[in-house]
Amino acid sequence: MKFSSVKYLFREGLRNVWSNRTMSFASVGVLISCLLLTGAAVLLSMNIGSAMEILEGDNSVRVVLDDGLPTLTGIQVGEEIKKLGNIESCEFIPKDEAIKQYLGDDDTLLQGLTGADNPLPDAFRISLVDLSLYDETIAQITALDGVQKVDDYSDIAEKLTSLDTLVTMAGFWIVLLLSLVSLFIIANTIRVTMFSRRVEISIMKSVGATNWFIRVPFVVEGVVIGVVSGLVAALLLVIAYNSLLEVITDIAPFFTPIAVAPLTVRIFLIFIGAGILFGAVGGAISIGKYLRKEGGDIIAW
Amino acid sequence: MIEFRDVSKTYPNGTEALKHVNLKVKKGEFVFIVGSSGAGKSTFLKLIMCEESPNSGEIIVNGRKLSTVKKRDVPYLRRTMGIVFQDFRLIDNMTVYDNVAFAMHVIGASTRDIRKRVPYILGLVGLQKKMKAYPNQLSGGEQQRVGLARALVNNPTMIIADEPTGNIDPALSFEIVDLLSEINRRGTTILMVTHEHRLVKHFHRRVIEIHGGQIVADTALTEVVSHEV
Repeated sequence: MKFSSVKYLFREGLRNVWSNRTMSFASVGVLISCLLLTGAAVLLSMNIGSAMEILEGDNSVRVVLDDGLPTLTGIQVGEEIKKLGNIESCEFIPKDEAIKQYLGDDDTLLQGLTGADNPLPDAFRISLVDLSLYDETIAQITALDGVQKVDDYSDIAEKLTSLDTLVTMAGFWIVLLLSLVSLFIIANTIRVTMFSRRVEISIMKSVGATNWFIRVPFVVEGVVIGVVSGLVAALLLVIAYNSLLEVITDIAPFFTPIAVAPLTVRIFLIFIGAGILFGAVGGAISIGKYLRKEGGDIIAW
Repeated sequence: MIEFRDVSKTYPNGTEALKHVNLKVKKGEFVFIVGSSGAGKSTFLKLIMCEESPNSGEIIVNGRKLSTVKKRDVPYLRRTMGIVFQDFRLIDNMTVYDNVAFAMHVIGASTRDIRKRVPYILGLVGLQKKMKAYPNQLSGGEQQRVGLARALVNNPTMIIADEPTGNIDPALSFEIVDLLSEINRRGTTILMVTHEHRLVKHFHRRVIEIHGGQIVADTALTEVVSHEV
């Protein structure tokens, strides 16, 4: 194909987008929503996965001692835990250190929560050698004198897993539904353009334009809609995620969400790619059906 | 140039548009096709343009059997034909120049060729001074001349005109057929469907009359018969 033809076809595609701007705008809006929801679901799932990895990687159990238990007795409890076997490590965490871990080094926050006013108990962080003996070991620890409770993270892990499944499933169906809606809207947008340009199409066919030549401007229209949607959606997602991150880390400093910065380029590329795919498929769906018409049938459509 | 061998066409709704049609149109001929509405004239043209295919028989255009032409090759076959429509089919938001250039653009002609060819063709149909005008600024006759220029611009070997004078003043109809005659003198085959008997009588050309899907009269055959007699 000659360069002048390529230039001509792209110009025609852009003209389609502009002359049909209301529908183009609607398509861009729907596609942005679809991409944003997909992105949000993926990021949420990634965060859940990362939280689970931290939890699993840590493989530690917190043994909380009775309130007001003398430190020396506490240390003795630790010795008894170590004697149980299946204990890889057993680290004492005094309550003053525990409160610092939760609140950081902020003196204003720590003031009034140290010493006797500290609501946290002393504890041990232990890790097990053999996880298959988890239940037995935990039962033995719980039975020891001076042990108030054992914080069992398996419950949280279970909850996170079910949340991840829920997010994945809900995300999948929402994205599928929105994808279909997006395709439908894009296909209709392009159909409207084709309707308004039916005289041109009939002339093109009568003078011997190939189907490809007729198709390209409409596919370009779809692709332009897709690229614009992909760019805007990626930008919105990155901005929204970063803003949300700031708020969350302020409220819950112990939460370690995944950073979006290393993923930015990938998000942009995937979103633009998805946009192009949606736009091109939407365009192809509309024009394919229409290209089978001939002569007066095109005008009478 | 065009040959119909025992061609029949029946539409899916049961309408028999053409029945066992046989005819030959030689290169460089000017043929009027006449007949009442629904006689089969449009189907006749559609078959030549590959917009429809026959149920039986064979059509040969420019030496090619249309039954052997693949779907993807139809556009290239159409480039050898110039189509003129009754309703002009001009693009309202394009100038006269752009309307004609459009036909060259869509077959991939270069900008240089377009710039050279379009003014020449518009000069041929007497519209060189109206290149920048829009269709709604032209009379019906002028609009049809733009349609004619568009049909001619890709240098076709034949012009297929489907009632080209149907939407213009009777006085201007002669002007259009004069122009077609001039194009024909330069070697282009013309097939023109018309309802206007005045035109047929005025321009002494071959006339094919279709009625009920059959050719009921063909002056070429009559002449042969009269010569033989």
